[in-house]
Amino acid sequence: MSSTIARLTKSLGRPAVLTLALALAACGAPGGGAPGSITELDYYTDQQGSAAWQKVLDTCSKKAGVTIQRQTVPTDQMLPKILQGATSRSLPNLVFTDNPTVQQIASTGALTPLSDYGIATGGYYDGIVKAGTYQGKVYGLAPGVNGLALLYNKDMLAEAGVQPPKTWDELTAAAAKLTKAQRYGLAFSAVPSEEGTWQFLPFFWSNGADLSRLDSDQAVRALGFVAGLVGSGSVSKSVLNWNQNDVADQFVAGNAAMMINGSWNLSRLDGEKSLHYGVVPIPTPAAGGSPTVALGGETGVIPATGQATQQSAAKVLTCILSPEVMQSWDTGHAYVPSQKDVAENFGQQHPNMQPFVTEVATARSRSADLGEKYPKISQALATAVQAAITGSQTPQQALRQAQQQAGGS
Amino acid sequence: MSRRAAAIAFLLPALLYVLVFFGYPLVYNLLMSLRDFSVRSFYTGQAPFVGVANYVAALGNPVFARAALNTVWFTVGSIVFQFGIGLALAVFFNGRFLGSATLRALLLLPWLLPLVVSGAVWRWIFDQDHGVLNTALRLVGLPAIPWLTDTGWALPAVILTNIWIGIPFNLVLLHGGLRAIPGSLYEAAALDGAGGWQRFRSITWPLLRPVTGIVLMLGLVYTIKVFDVIMVITGGGPANATQTLTTFSYSLSFHDFAFGQGAAIGNVLILVSTVFGFVYLRSARESLT
Amino acid sequence: MRGWIRTGVGVLIVLVLLFPLYWMLNASLQPSGALLRPTPEFLPLPATLDGYREALATQGGHLLSSLLVAGGTVVVSLVIATPAAYSLAQLRWRGGPVFVFALLIVQMIPGIVMANSLYALFGDLGLIDNYLGLVLADSTATVPFAILVLRAFMVAIPRELSEAARVDGAGHWRTFVSIIVPVSRNAVVTAGVFAFLFAWADFLFAMTLTTGQGIEPVTVGIYRFVGNQTADWNGIMATAVLAAIPAAILLVVAQRYVVAGMTGGAVKE
Repeated sequence: MSSTIARLTKSLGRPAVLTLALALAACGAPGGGAPGSITELDYYTDQQGSAAWQKVLDTCSKKAGVTIQRQTVPTDQMLPKILQGATSRSLPNLVFTDNPTVQQIASTGALTPLSDYGIATGGYYDGIVKAGTYQGKVYGLAPGVNGLALLYNKDMLAEAGVQPPKTWDELTAAAAKLTKAQRYGLAFSAVPSEEGTWQFLPFFWSNGADLSRLDSDQAVRALGFVAGLVGSGSVSKSVLNWNQNDVADQFVAGNAAMMINGSWNLSRLDGEKSLHYGVVPIPTPAAGGSPTVALGGETGVIPATGQATQQSAAKVLTCILSPEVMQSWDTGHAYVPSQKDVAENFGQQHPNMQPFVTEVATARSRSADLGEKYPKISQALATAVQAAITGSQTPQQALRQAQQQAGGS
Repeated sequence: MSRRAAAIAFLLPALLYVLVFFGYPLVYNLLMSLRDFSVRSFYTGQAPFVGVANYVAALGNPVFARAALNTVWFTVGSIVFQFGIGLALAVFFNGRFLGSATLRALLLLPWLLPLVVSGAVWRWIFDQDHGVLNTALRLVGLPAIPWLTDTGWALPAVILTNIWIGIPFNLVLLHGGLRAIPGSLYEAAALDGAGGWQRFRSITWPLLRPVTGIVLMLGLVYTIKVFDVIMVITGGGPANATQTLTTFSYSLSFHDFAFGQGAAIGNVLILVSTVFGFVYLRSARESLT
Repeated sequence: MRGWIRTGVGVLIVLVLLFPLYWMLNASLQPSGALLRPTPEFLPLPATLDGYREALATQGGHLLSSLLVAGGTVVVSLVIATPAAYSLAQLRWRGGPVFVFALLIVQMIPGIVMANSLYALFGDLGLIDNYLGLVLADSTATVPFAILVLRAFMVAIPRELSEAARVDGAGHWRTFVSIIVPVSRNAVVTAGVFAFLFAWADFLFAMTLTTGQGIEPVTVGIYRFVGNQTADWNGIMATAVLAAIPAAILLVVAQRYVVAGMTGGAVKE
């Protein structure tokens, strides 16, 4: 009976039918009438990540007794896909989306608060809870988070007699010393999109700048520092076009001695047998400080698609957020568990992950303060970073224009 | 059946198809551009009417002027070279020599590549430090060029890629046009002692005109809305140096979530092509009426 | 002798223009990221077939899907466009120029707008995840193109040819089928080849109008290798090479046909 309804619901995908199905289900099977099938949407398209995620879904499908029909789209097609679904009232039942977009989606009214399903937020890192909160309600939680750190090639540093840098000055000196004929000292991504902003934020925030004012002195100095690394020749100008995958490619190819990148690269780096790498937190402006990085990771949300499917989706999400599943996903994909005690345990087991675990404790949610306004500010900031690196504008000019663009209209 | 009735009957399937598959998006885009269409609107279906406010905001954006100018350069640069090279190759491969058909077919291959692939390959080729292009330049003693990292070079680099992608299109259509020109004309001209260039000017060029017109017009329509090539290679950067109206429209919609403004820019593009359409119609009047 | 020189020059041109393709083939046979080594390898030695193994294991069905969609698009485009072009070029109705004008304009609608509104429309018609849906959507790019190209060719067909047929008592349909279509065979093949290539390379519609549950064209399959966090260039390039093979074969075959069709020379005086 319930599978017939599921099929009917899926084929028609209309709210009226959903209500009807719900009514039928409620009559037929009191107490446990949830349809046994839900749809899930994520953007883990690469083979490795996709396989690791599929394992998580398979585990939880079995545990929750719910069949999961998975859909995967490339990252940049995620939002268009969700918006289409919202228009035609055919949203997936469970969605894993980049955490700064949660508030944007929640503002449409399409999501349901997790408190409806008794999913508690205790024990999670503050930043990830904030990212999933819209108007005082928590709409999403992530099974794993990530952040950026400095990864370095041990052999190259040893050869040059350089210690992993801890401060900006040390980073400048190390990058310069490691740069030679065919190789740059450092690589990072400065593409004109959210990805570029995300890579710049650790420098921006660690220097005390704030997204509510893009052209503050601290911001100008942070941008001046980053642009200076490129200007002095320690970083290739090509960072303007490198996304984080490209940055990792360059690092693996030996074209860069150090890189700013995320934890998810570790499993790939481990696969390169001739590469010996180390991980340290991102250098800070002054000695003894701790960096403020942006918090990354995909957050699970439950769109309003009808009580029955919502309940099934909640069961699956609860399972994904359970410590064992969380830990196996994070091991498989090199993410940091989003619950503090799970993460601490995790860091001890995986030494290379420890710098990331440390950073996540102080990591900031990109959309916590700005909410829906974040995307526009992020875009303006990414453009400013590009303008300063190309030298078409000074850091000050670039950030002033960004502030006008973000604040204006 | 009268000629008029037959004309309409033969046209009917196309008429219906265009009405359904283009009329709907056109109206959709127009309505969107007149409303404050936000992320919320997709779910609630509500978007307040704001008149021309989206147009004012989008056209007043400092990026707009840059994008409009880039679009002009991109379009003109791409079409001139695509067409010129395409025509030269079409004339060259029109001659009968061993393997001409096979070689010409091979030149179509760039068309088969998904843009994410050709974009990535070109990005490697353009790479400032390890790219093949700069390696070659160094070999002949020329300085390396910052293809994609300089605000002055990025647009030419993107145009170069687009020319490469567009050559097969021009080649095939122009070659088809050349084949339709009777060989006897050339024989007669050769008997009159006309040289190669003269034959091209007095026979090939005038007789190719209907095809030339359509190739240029289609080239314009396709080039002006090129999106993927730019997105894959530079994402509109560095510092908006390769931002065109389409990438700007996309950025407004999907980075800023100002869907109304994105739609407004889309309509500006439609308007531009309408103007060019008129110009084309005027110049091609004799063959149309 | 001159022929040999021309062949040599022709080969040279092809080599230069197809260098990016060689570069792709080269990449597909090397480990991921090999092209970014300080000095890129011009030959894929030692070659690895890992990328192909991976691609073959996952992309076989997607190639078939692409083939069906592209084939369907050719049929739909030609069935709609050929009579329309005949009408516009030879029967000349007063509304014709307006329609040609409209065809130019509608092609300017940004792709993402087309995709979004078609998604809404197809949702209502049950054409999501459907071969017919993809064919009809891809045809939005190919129908106007095919009409315009066929019209440009048919304008050049002497009207005496069809008028002679009419004198012999043939109706418009007979004239169309037995005179116009055979004479414009080259143009029809050209339009068909382009329709095939358009549909084969389409990514936007393939992405937006499928959900990943049913059919999946190979362009979308390639994106499976481009993760948000890692990109497997080895696999991507191998898939691209595989994706190019069936279409390349078809291209060469169709080109032969174009040449063969031209020797008929019905248009020549």
